[in-house]
Amino acid sequence: MAKIILNNQEVETREGIPVLQAALEAGLNVPHYCYHPGLSVVASCRLCLMEMKMPHPKTGELGWAPKLMPSCQTPVRDGMEVRFDSDKVHENQERCMEFFLLNHPLDCPVCDQAGECHLQDYSYHFGKSESRMVDQKHVTPKKDVGPRTLLYSDRCVMCSRCVRFCDEVAGTGELCITNRGSKAEIDAFPGKPLDNPMQGNVVDICPVGCLLDKDFLFQQRVWFLKSADSICTGCSTGCSIRIDQNEDHVHRLKPRFNPRVNQWWMCDEGRFGFKYIHDKNRLTRLRLRRGESFESFRWESLAETVRYRFENIAKKQSDKKIAVVLSPFLACEEAWLLVKTIREIAPNATLILGPVPTVEQDERFPVGATNGDTKFIIRKEKCPNRNGIELIIKHFGGNTETFDAFVEQASAGEYAAAWISGGYPTEWVSKDFAKAAGKIPFKVVHDLFGSALTDEATLVVPACSFAERDGTFVNATGVVQPFARAIKPPQGCKRDGQFFYELAELEGLYQSPTVLGMMAAEIDEFKEVYVPPQLPEHQH
Amino acid sequence: MAWKAIDRVNAPTEESPSLSEPLKEKIRGFFDRYPTKRAVLIPALHMIQDDHGYVGWKAMEEVAELLEITPSDVFDTVSFYSHFWTHPKGEKVVMACRSISCDLLGADRVLDECKKVLGIGDHETTPDGKYSLMTEECLAACDHGPCLMINEKMHKCVDPANVRKILEDDANDKLDIPRSNLYDGANRTSA
Repeated sequence: MAKIILNNQEVETREGIPVLQAALEAGLNVPHYCYHPGLSVVASCRLCLMEMKMPHPKTGELGWAPKLMPSCQTPVRDGMEVRFDSDKVHENQERCMEFFLLNHPLDCPVCDQAGECHLQDYSYHFGKSESRMVDQKHVTPKKDVGPRTLLYSDRCVMCSRCVRFCDEVAGTGELCITNRGSKAEIDAFPGKPLDNPMQGNVVDICPVGCLLDKDFLFQQRVWFLKSADSICTGCSTGCSIRIDQNEDHVHRLKPRFNPRVNQWWMCDEGRFGFKYIHDKNRLTRLRLRRGESFESFRWESLAETVRYRFENIAKKQSDKKIAVVLSPFLACEEAWLLVKTIREIAPNATLILGPVPTVEQDERFPVGATNGDTKFIIRKEKCPNRNGIELIIKHFGGNTETFDAFVEQASAGEYAAAWISGGYPTEWVSKDFAKAAGKIPFKVVHDLFGSALTDEATLVVPACSFAERDGTFVNATGVVQPFARAIKPPQGCKRDGQFFYELAELEGLYQSPTVLGMMAAEIDEFKEVYVPPQLPEHQH
Repeated sequence: MAWKAIDRVNAPTEESPSLSEPLKEKIRGFFDRYPTKRAVLIPALHMIQDDHGYVGWKAMEEVAELLEITPSDVFDTVSFYSHFWTHPKGEKVVMACRSISCDLLGADRVLDECKKVLGIGDHETTPDGKYSLMTEECLAACDHGPCLMINEKMHKCVDPANVRKILEDDANDKLDIPRSNLYDGANRTSA
């Protein structure tokens, strides 16, 4: 711990962190572009300059140093005195802002960043209302720097965050600064575009509208977007994300700061992998089999019917087994409610963890990083909650089975009934599994998309995507993290948690914290839920 | 895209020369003079420019591979120093000073005369590939303005009337003192 005097007030902070970080954490709005806590410090934007007290070289007396110091590059030392509220500091900020806007096209009306742009904010708070520039502006071109990213050089403030990100975090170094001085531009080598699995982050860390996402380009004005804090379901890393939606349509995902999981970043696979939410082929009707065909079924009767049928089978066919296949895409609460219900009805029901989609190996960043210097991992398990489901299966104990063994036993006709939860964004039903499932006389299939399995089902329950649900996921390192819903489920669907809640014969609306509390009373691992700390208000 | 954007996704279409094996060998010969391979970049670029006349896209890519850095790092350095050419340069580069002393002594008329004689503008190359013309901030001979420099040979106190004579003289870039052989500019490895 260190105590420093900041704008005449004593502030407690940590020794060795940049003074800028300490000031932001103390709630000060100190303008900055080039400083990012996840990247190296270059002190190039000169916006965060401060006044600092130093000993006089001759008398040794403490006094304000004549020159301004970059606060991002000055580490905190116990007892130091700095200030950001003097005329000298304000004058520097004003002049810097004038320079930043010298060649800026002021095309905010057509710029995607407008509304969340730090040029706009800083110009308003620290800049001048008009420019004294009389010469013609130096116009730099737009660049198609990568398949997913556009670079508007004319809006750039040369903070070099994107270049440092590619060098230090992604480790691929596609971006560079060409030319020099007032002619400097960000560029990529022709034929070697910005195309690494982490590249979307350069759009997030760009403080202005220079780097833009082609996927989001001209889709929405950011002030129409409403956000919800969620967890990425792309892999078992479980990055904290923000879902930005308008009118129940998800427009983009952005990473949230999470020191234990993803720091400031997320990968492109997660960032752009949400499109299936709005797929037209999603199941949106609760359907019951009548002979060869299906007919619509009412949500109100679902709980009663399912309970009745499972009870009947458990009683009358006690020589055969009942299966519950839990998808690693289910939230812990949903899985817990489902298992609790089925085990109440059929205490010998077999619990099975659904297939875990896996690729060959983890991807580590910076590229080629080993354990010690890894900054980000895209994990090989492409589902968010395998650990959580395993915890629940372990807690309930009793009959459990691996998925492969279940498929084998099912093809041998050992099962009389099954609840099969899917919710995979991609095709997951193998031929063997579909064939095996055909041998189960009564099966409820709870899934996002139609498949060979839903064609065979007795009851098809449409599932909701992660953006429509809330609950908790346990990531690959065992961190229990809550996620919130962002949008309403599509017409005809019911939130998974809600019908599991009704299935468990609990009254009222499903609230994930309530269910989590009930779980925590039984399972120790759920007693501690990790919610990442908020970034200081003025940090970006 | 509906509007014009510079394409960085596709490889450049224009042809540019590759590094010859002797040139690569020469660059490798510099490795043990520096603490890192990255540090050999500037001498390597000098050698490439001496050999090819300019540093093209292909050469940048190949030198990046040789020095185990990214092509964008090379692009960064090449474009930082304005003396590295990224498009074909003539055999001789005529540099006309446009700084204050030369300007006061009539540098603009010298430059105009150069443009007229060569038939090209600033930073352009004659169709026969013999001459390139560029302006310079200061050639460090302010007491002898206006100055022209052809490759590394300085022409001082140039009279616009003499420009044609200077440019037509084949030996106009012959140095009075021999050039340092550090980069062996005279001994090209390829034509």
